[in-house]
Amino acid sequence: MLNYNQVIESIFISLHVSLFSTLLSFITSIILGYWIAINSFRLKKIIVSVLGSLTSIPPVCAGLLVYLLISRSGPLGWMEILYTPTAMIIAQFVIILPIMITLIIQYVEVEYPPFREELISYGATKWDLIKLLLKNKSGVYFTILLIGFGRAISEYGAAAIVGGSIDHVTRNMTAMIALETAKGNILTGVILGLILISISLIISFMINFLKAKN
Amino acid sequence: MKTGIKALVLALLLFSNALARDYIIVQSTTSTANTGLLDVLSKNFLEETGIEVRAVAVGTGTAIANAKKGDGDVLMVHAKADEIKFVEEGYGVERFDLMYNDFVIVGPQDDPAGISKLNKIEDVMTVLSSDEYKFISRDDNSGTHKKELSLWKLANLSPEDNASYIKTGSGMANTINVASEMNAYVLTDRGTWISFANKKDLQILYEGDKALFNPYGLIAVNPKMFPHVEFEKANQFIEWLINGKGNKIIQNFKIDGQQLFFTYN
Repeated sequence: MLNYNQVIESIFISLHVSLFSTLLSFITSIILGYWIAINSFRLKKIIVSVLGSLTSIPPVCAGLLVYLLISRSGPLGWMEILYTPTAMIIAQFVIILPIMITLIIQYVEVEYPPFREELISYGATKWDLIKLLLKNKSGVYFTILLIGFGRAISEYGAAAIVGGSIDHVTRNMTAMIALETAKGNILTGVILGLILISISLIISFMINFLKAKN
Repeated sequence: MKTGIKALVLALLLFSNALARDYIIVQSTTSTANTGLLDVLSKNFLEETGIEVRAVAVGTGTAIANAKKGDGDVLMVHAKADEIKFVEEGYGVERFDLMYNDFVIVGPQDDPAGISKLNKIEDVMTVLSSDEYKFISRDDNSGTHKKELSLWKLANLSPEDNASYIKTGSGMANTINVASEMNAYVLTDRGTWISFANKKDLQILYEGDKALFNPYGLIAVNPKMFPHVEFEKANQFIEWLINGKGNKIIQNFKIDGQQLFFTYN
């Protein structure tokens, strides 16, 4: 009933896409987040509010947005990334970036001021402070990674729209669950869901282990 | 260093897709995908020709809309009137008859509306339009939904405003599930029904009427309108399906010993 190879493939696709999108989003949110949090500029409050509200963007909408961009008739159509894993990475990136950035901004805005006060008297520059905060090895980074990854790997709507749920290529775990459910194989869908949760559990344990080691 | 990493990652992302288009994109329907037929056809065509088939299975309406945006090389759907229009409007080159089966009306085993005793589709639709029996509609612009609407029209009815007419706006599986939970009637294509694993108390109550004929069409997207389409490969696929091994594969495709799709030759 269920093709063993298809299940393994879908696990690989899920991990490949979600790990990539999580890492990309993490790096971007650190760079942008730090910059926004440390500097003061006119539109800061508005930008932070907008980023906060984008955390509740419906994933399907994010998917449609990306689809309009990369569709053949869209501005980025020439890149031919529709129905590829790259498109799924981008869609997931759009969804989890606001979440990660908001968390980083929150963290820096709390940690930075007391840091700043203490170290500016020793002649530290802004750059020194940033480097020190980053090296602080706070557990918050692991938490942010975990939250982002969780959101990415469990997402269905957006990745399905831009990925097309194509066999061997873009049919990730959630797309496979949706397909099996559509075929009426309810039990199979549930089993696949449990496999997905187990994988998330393993990753979560790994991340918490790394966090504890720090 | 950070910008270096970002640039590298972006390059990797793009590169993994820049490696030529030795695949064709087929915009198709959920009724062909959920039976498993599309996967079998894709696998065999790849083995025989080395051309990868990436089939996107969405509702017929969505497939046509996607193809009109140039997001496909081949269109494989079951809404003949819309397919003909697709070609007439210049989006497709030519429509070919691919395969057919039929639609069936499915309902609760005890058949409270008594449609299994009727002989004409007009009578069936008239009985089902009554407020006494619930009818579940997909209401999602799919081929099945379009067929359902045409059947109401055939009987000169518009049950849209009935309290017993329930619109799910979703795929066949969810719609059948709703029908099963509500002890209601629903129209489905035979292929999906045979392969559907969650039939519960429902069974086929009306079938065989010529109005329930379900033909699938195959169209290559017009390269004059979208120069980027893989026209040659698309035609290879079409030829393979109509005159080549693909035809045999469709005929031999069975679930529980039943043939789901029939071909014209």
